[in-house]
Amino acid sequence: MSNLESIFFWISLVLYSLAAGGFLYSFVFKNPRFQSKMTLLIGVAFILHTVAIGARYAAQGHLPWSGDYESAMMGGWFIIAATLWVGWRNKSLQALAAATVPVVVIMMGYGVMRNPVLTPMSASLKNYWLYIHVYFAWLAFGAYTLAMAAGVLYLMKKKATQGGVANAAYEKYPSLDRLDELMFRYVVFGFITDTIMIGAGAIWAKDLWGSYWSWDPVETWSLVSWLIYGLTIHLRVTFGWRESRLAWLVIAALSSVIISFFGVTFVVSSSLHMFNVPVR
Amino acid sequence: MIDSVIKYIKSLRFTLLIISLLGVMFLLGLWIPQERMVSPEMLAKWQLSSPQVVAALQWLGFLNIYTSPIMLGLWGFFFLNLSLVMWQRLPLLKKRIAISESRIADPATASGYSFRASFPLPADLDAATLVSRLRRNRYAVLGDGSGFFAVKNRLSPIAFALFHLSFFLVLVGGLTSVYTKFVGVLEVAEGETFQGEVERYVPTPSLAKVGPPPRVAFTVQSVVPQSVNGTATGLKVKLQDARGEQTADVNRPYHDDHTTFVVDNVGPAPLFVVTDPQGKELDGAFMKLHVMGGAADVFSLAGYHFRAHFYPDYALGKNGKPETRSREFKNPRFVIAVEHQGKPVTTGTLAAGDSLAFDNYKLVLRQMPLWVRFSVIKEQGLSIIYAGFAVASIAVIWRFLFYRRELMGVVREEEGERRLVVAGRSEFYKTLAEDEFRELIEKIINAGGRKEQ
Repeated sequence: MSNLESIFFWISLVLYSLAAGGFLYSFVFKNPRFQSKMTLLIGVAFILHTVAIGARYAAQGHLPWSGDYESAMMGGWFIIAATLWVGWRNKSLQALAAATVPVVVIMMGYGVMRNPVLTPMSASLKNYWLYIHVYFAWLAFGAYTLAMAAGVLYLMKKKATQGGVANAAYEKYPSLDRLDELMFRYVVFGFITDTIMIGAGAIWAKDLWGSYWSWDPVETWSLVSWLIYGLTIHLRVTFGWRESRLAWLVIAALSSVIISFFGVTFVVSSSLHMFNVPVR
Repeated sequence: MIDSVIKYIKSLRFTLLIISLLGVMFLLGLWIPQERMVSPEMLAKWQLSSPQVVAALQWLGFLNIYTSPIMLGLWGFFFLNLSLVMWQRLPLLKKRIAISESRIADPATASGYSFRASFPLPADLDAATLVSRLRRNRYAVLGDGSGFFAVKNRLSPIAFALFHLSFFLVLVGGLTSVYTKFVGVLEVAEGETFQGEVERYVPTPSLAKVGPPPRVAFTVQSVVPQSVNGTATGLKVKLQDARGEQTADVNRPYHDDHTTFVVDNVGPAPLFVVTDPQGKELDGAFMKLHVMGGAADVFSLAGYHFRAHFYPDYALGKNGKPETRSREFKNPRFVIAVEHQGKPVTTGTLAAGDSLAFDNYKLVLRQMPLWVRFSVIKEQGLSIIYAGFAVASIAVIWRFLFYRRELMGVVREEEGERRLVVAGRSEFYKTLAEDEFRELIEKIINAGGRKEQ
């Protein structure tokens, strides 16, 4: 990490953590007005996060594309960007941050422990398909995370509604029907971008490894998560899975994406997807 | 019994079952060590420690799970189910995309419509204008103010068929690629020519079931590795073929005759010569040595064995031992240990042009060109596979972003007021569509600056 990057990264991580705690406070102590303040805090943290990415770019000459630290940094950026965008367009959806920000905090915390050393862009990453493949991968991850957040909000609001004790923190949220449809809408967007990501990855793999599909662990996991979300869409459209069942499904399905991005390379040392591993 | 089995195979429940089983098999392939990913030594060790488990997995084909009979069977059922479901669905699809005036009904009572509303109409807004504004919002409209049926993205259900048919494109392309696939590894040194000889591939290549090996011919003119701070940033290879000068690099393979030459690795290909004390050459050859990353390689000349270590950026370490400062070829040198009949003779360091004296002979390093390793893959059907990906992407965007909406309406007098009574429904979304319909109708009514009262 460069010094500037380190400063802004850690400040943004602290602010995200505070915001996550603030949302928790607003639910526990039934104070919905606190949520808009936390959204502002997330906005500030996002700007600092962007500066950290810019500092890394300036130090190593390319955007953070590879390795667990850079994946966490950019992935977190896309998730927060999607959260802020959705919250800006519809204020009642600002509370999605209650679920997305903790995910980002954990991701970035994990990422910073995984060797944030500055590395030049390795030869294997110098291909225009990189930008398409990775960009759509982050869009998919962001959308799936929003779907998970909508699922969490759905379950929380439903429980509060059924509990009989009013909690003003949930009144700002969209109705349960809308949350149900939003879950599906985010899954659909994620599935579209996931499909493009896999296709672009296969075309890039042909140039890089000579074969469009090698059953590499990361490739296989990304196919598994694509199948899981395809199954989710089938269950919704054909079998009418909605509400709590769909909410639990989209929450659990996100784990497959997290494993694709981070879990596989944690466990497997021989994946073709290990780029930019620096020589000590 | 057979009828109920066929009925089940045609069902969507079977689709879900097959997709789930395929997912489970993919996951098993990540957990069970695969033969192509583990070394023979590791596999042998595992066989020794768990012979029954390995035997069982081998019998099931799970050590090559992605091409195992069970996996191929599941794929077979997947495409069978897909074909049967598509066969059932296509007539329904035709029916769905067709529209006729029989769809016009009373919006107040028509069944299956989740959105119903009534909007007051301004006195100067006639029904014909209303209908034309609907058309301008990309609705296909049948009927008029006394009753209309409007649909947006009428053809969207076709995308469902396209998406699923794209799987067949990928299947056809994939099968073509499997049957025409040639895989080999080729090492060519600077200045060396390759004319497509199968025996040049080392190890023995995997030949295609259909079609000849690659018919290519080229000469490698130069190999230039690039590295910054220990990270390989490029491996430029210049080639000369019948078309002229070509350049290949990591991520930019050389292509010819449906064949891809992927630049894979590099190493030194020194010209070592053994001379007698008078300088007469006794033996010599270009050696493609596999000595990168600290590995040692052995070659023989004039009855002697030479064990070579290579240092791309040679320096003496603090302990006086040779080391390389980086992966860049800044100061390339060999450390050669000479052996004769199992006994060490001498050791020395050689750069290009240097010599090492041993037992009245000299080992001379005349030149130090580099060799490049290509992973060579020839396969056909890729354009069909890519077409499948493109169709799948376009179809999924079309289906889910441009989904079908239906509106029916009538202009009628209610309680002395002209009102537009509508009923609407949308694929996939109910509450979100209600907002959209409301906004649309208000926009159509208020277009031209008229405000709703």
